[in-house]
Amino acid sequence: MADELDPEQLDHAFREIFGDKRLSRRRFLGRSATAAFAAGGLASVLSACGIAGTAARNLRVLQAEAENVHHPRTAIGDWTFANWPLYIDKKVIREFNARFGGHCKYIEEINDNNEFYGKVRQQLAQGVFIGRDIVVLTDYMAGRWVRYGYVTPIDKRNVPNMRNLVPNLRSIGYDPRRQFTLPYQSGAIGLGYDIKQTGVEIRSVRDLFDPRWKGRVTMFTEPYDSAGTVLLGEGIDASRATLDQQLSAIEKIGKAASAGQFRRFTGNDYTTDLTKGNVAIALSYSGDLVQLQSDNPNLRFSYPEEGAMLFTDNMMMPSHVEHPYAAETMMNYLYDPQVAAVVCDWVNYISPVDGIKPILERMDPDVAHNDLIFPPDSVRKKLYPYPSFSTRQEQQMYEAMAKVTGA
Amino acid sequence: MTAVAEPSGAPRRRSGGISLANRRRLLPWIFALPGLLWLILFFAIPLVNQANVSLQTGDPEAGYNFTWAFSTYWDALRDYHTQFLRSLLYAGVATVIDLIIAFPLAYFMAYKAGRWKNFMLLLVVLPFFMSYVLRTVSWQLILADNGWVVSRLRDVGLVSEHGRVLATGTAVIAGIAYNFLPFMVLPLYVSLERIDRRFVEAATDLYASRMTAFRKVTLPLAIPGIFAGSLLCFIPACGDYVNAALLGTPQQYMIGNVVQSKFLDVLDYPTAAALSFILMTVILIGILLYSRLLGTRNLTEVAA
Amino acid sequence: MRSRDRARNWALGIWSAAALLYLFIPVFLIVVFSFNDNKGRFNFTWQGFTLSHWKHPFVDSDLSEALKNSLEIAVIVTVISVLLGTFLAMALTRYRFRGQGAAGVFVFLPMATPEVVMGASLLAMFLVVGINTGFWTIVIAHVMFTLSYVVVTVRARLEGMDPHIEEAAQDLGAGVWTTFARVTLPMIAPGVAAAAVLAAAISIDDYVVTSFNAGQTQTFPLFIFGSTRQGVPPEVNVLGTMLLLGVLLLMALNVIVQRALARRDRIVDDDVTAAPPAAPAERAAPVPA
Repeated sequence: MADELDPEQLDHAFREIFGDKRLSRRRFLGRSATAAFAAGGLASVLSACGIAGTAARNLRVLQAEAENVHHPRTAIGDWTFANWPLYIDKKVIREFNARFGGHCKYIEEINDNNEFYGKVRQQLAQGVFIGRDIVVLTDYMAGRWVRYGYVTPIDKRNVPNMRNLVPNLRSIGYDPRRQFTLPYQSGAIGLGYDIKQTGVEIRSVRDLFDPRWKGRVTMFTEPYDSAGTVLLGEGIDASRATLDQQLSAIEKIGKAASAGQFRRFTGNDYTTDLTKGNVAIALSYSGDLVQLQSDNPNLRFSYPEEGAMLFTDNMMMPSHVEHPYAAETMMNYLYDPQVAAVVCDWVNYISPVDGIKPILERMDPDVAHNDLIFPPDSVRKKLYPYPSFSTRQEQQMYEAMAKVTGA
Repeated sequence: MTAVAEPSGAPRRRSGGISLANRRRLLPWIFALPGLLWLILFFAIPLVNQANVSLQTGDPEAGYNFTWAFSTYWDALRDYHTQFLRSLLYAGVATVIDLIIAFPLAYFMAYKAGRWKNFMLLLVVLPFFMSYVLRTVSWQLILADNGWVVSRLRDVGLVSEHGRVLATGTAVIAGIAYNFLPFMVLPLYVSLERIDRRFVEAATDLYASRMTAFRKVTLPLAIPGIFAGSLLCFIPACGDYVNAALLGTPQQYMIGNVVQSKFLDVLDYPTAAALSFILMTVILIGILLYSRLLGTRNLTEVAA
Repeated sequence: MRSRDRARNWALGIWSAAALLYLFIPVFLIVVFSFNDNKGRFNFTWQGFTLSHWKHPFVDSDLSEALKNSLEIAVIVTVISVLLGTFLAMALTRYRFRGQGAAGVFVFLPMATPEVVMGASLLAMFLVVGINTGFWTIVIAHVMFTLSYVVVTVRARLEGMDPHIEEAAQDLGAGVWTTFARVTLPMIAPGVAAAAVLAAAISIDDYVVTSFNAGQTQTFPLFIFGSTRQGVPPEVNVLGTMLLLGVLLLMALNVIVQRALARRDRIVDDDVTAAPPAAPAERAAPVPA
């Protein structure tokens, strides 16, 4: 295992701060303020050290590890699966426990990629197990973890069902051979609209900027989603976009925002605006629209004709994972078409597992024939995953977007 | 008399324990220390670390270095002074609104509620047990552009024909006022309830009208409550980000949103820390000025 | 004069009712929507009445667990916070000691700090020191930021209160703790009660600081915030309503018990005064009944 914390550096830091000399009581008391500052400093040193150290365990090292990964069969035991809320049919977990033994602690603690990262980054940087054997994170965050070496390679011998992975997700920029990540669910970012308000079908990214809908459009605060969609609208392959292209897309959004085109920028909360008719068109997630239509039957979803961004939430094992065999068994289980069908029926997003449509046609035909869950091939060809950026590039992107969204 | 004046001083000293005088001096420390220690351990020390971070430069990939980067503070102030001022404005207006709404309510609770005092106290806080997410979403549903409420407001003329309530500064201020109302009611109630009614009776006996008695007796004695309530509303409201995010547009974003974004999305920890400290400093100055304005310190002596 | 008083009382009453109504409008909506027969996963439009959510509110064990955690944390936090905060408030208001001014200002700082920074820096400290985040770190964090609110609320009560009463008690031989328990505490009781209620409410509703320091423990706000992505299930509305009703019930019981106690005391007093009727009448001057 590569060392995240250089012991020499750490030693030096310790000596600098606490000194070699014995501390007399008076000097200690007198230095209490300095000590407090030093304690703060030490924390920073540790975290700073940690952050600096992670770049050392880079992708090539990780890939070499991946070639030799071997997770022997063990008892499942007690292990932890961290996921987004309401993202699985809990009976799948129960059936897994019944069939494979052990006890899966399933915690729905991931509410936001950046927030979750903020929560565990220090432990990751220090090379400590974060207590979760599987985490489910969206592409750009998964990419960051792979880049930093915060993941454990998957022993594919324990996940034979990986062959059921849909063809268009078999490879992705940040994990070309799917050695560290395995898709969990996908969704498309498309145009949700209220047909009663628009009167016509909305099919193109251009409609988002159409002055006819001025002030009645919402965009996502997440630049990967918004800027990506805009790039697709201009005919650019968003999954291969450069930072400059992203920034120019953000600029275009900014100009439209200043002109009052967008009512506001949302996270997941565009749903209330759209349902209640506050907006005519909202950049939306496919899975949501399936659900919203029962609240407002006038809502429609269309995949933009220029193409749609596809986000995927991926399962990964963090570095220094403690129950890799259990995690891989679960991954394998979730890729069994029967199980995947159950999950898809519950979650209503686009499943990354091939061959579940016939199963669903028997189980729940409404779901099987829903374009939002099973996009037709013509649409699948135009679904683009997120591009990959370095952290510094991401920072620039987020900074630019923050200026547009006023944060 | 002398025996009473020094009840346990002399014998204690002989047996080698702490003298009464020393005990008297230590007492405030005994009272204050547990709370202060908790705050120092779990607030001050992490905060010192943040001060440290605010003076660093670097990025998550290459690491951070302590460089006495005071320019971070200056840049933060320059770039985000709009959001700062806006936060102060929104929080201030919301606090005033809350004071207006809360005062009669607190007065009623303190003087007219009788046996139902504690019950009403609980009622005021009960909405908090329902999660701010649910409460804010409920407001979003209630204040929908074409909903019943906004349509009636349009009928009455409070909202223009194509106007809306949501996604405006009004909505954000209203949201802040709503969420912090209990924080204003409680201290007001607490300090009003303490006022001895006989003062008011004495005033009216001396031919003052009810209004004058209120203005010259009740109101000044309620100032500690007004002070406390205003602070409990204003201070956290300055750093609020939820209401602006859910009820507002980019034109309404407050400094809390900036800190949130810098910290979680842009990963610019030094600027986030610097912004926090600037906010804290501004608020502290505000508190000092406000307490001078209300002359709280003098009031303690007057009442005694 | 009297009719103007009555008019004023009425006006006050109506204003208070209106203010309380205003506070409860979203709550009513939440309660109503717990009966919504929503076909999808979102709960935004009324689609019909159903009791199904009420029949199986605990079906999601994680949600129930989250609520249980929140309640336990709230109770523990309130007790600790009120204890520490009341004493701190007394020290700051009643006594003079070195550093008092600074301490008074210091107490305001947690309120002024953006939660993101406060939560993340606390987490950083826990990690450095090696404390595992979970239930107890949530408690620690909550006590930390509710302390300010408790201190400010209790101070609002203490400030301007006549300190001579306590001095008088001590002059009459009461020790420090006796004075505190029998003189000071009853006088500040409303302040302490208000502070307790406030601390509990803040603790049960906190999101940001909790999300950083919760480890793998789930709390009610964490669950709800997370579920907004997929749609907050109506069971959340049901549990929230149950919580509300539970608290109201407790309070109503309290009022009933107090009334029963008061009535019992009055009966005892009546018996006592009724016992020797003749004796006082002989000695006392005629007093209008």
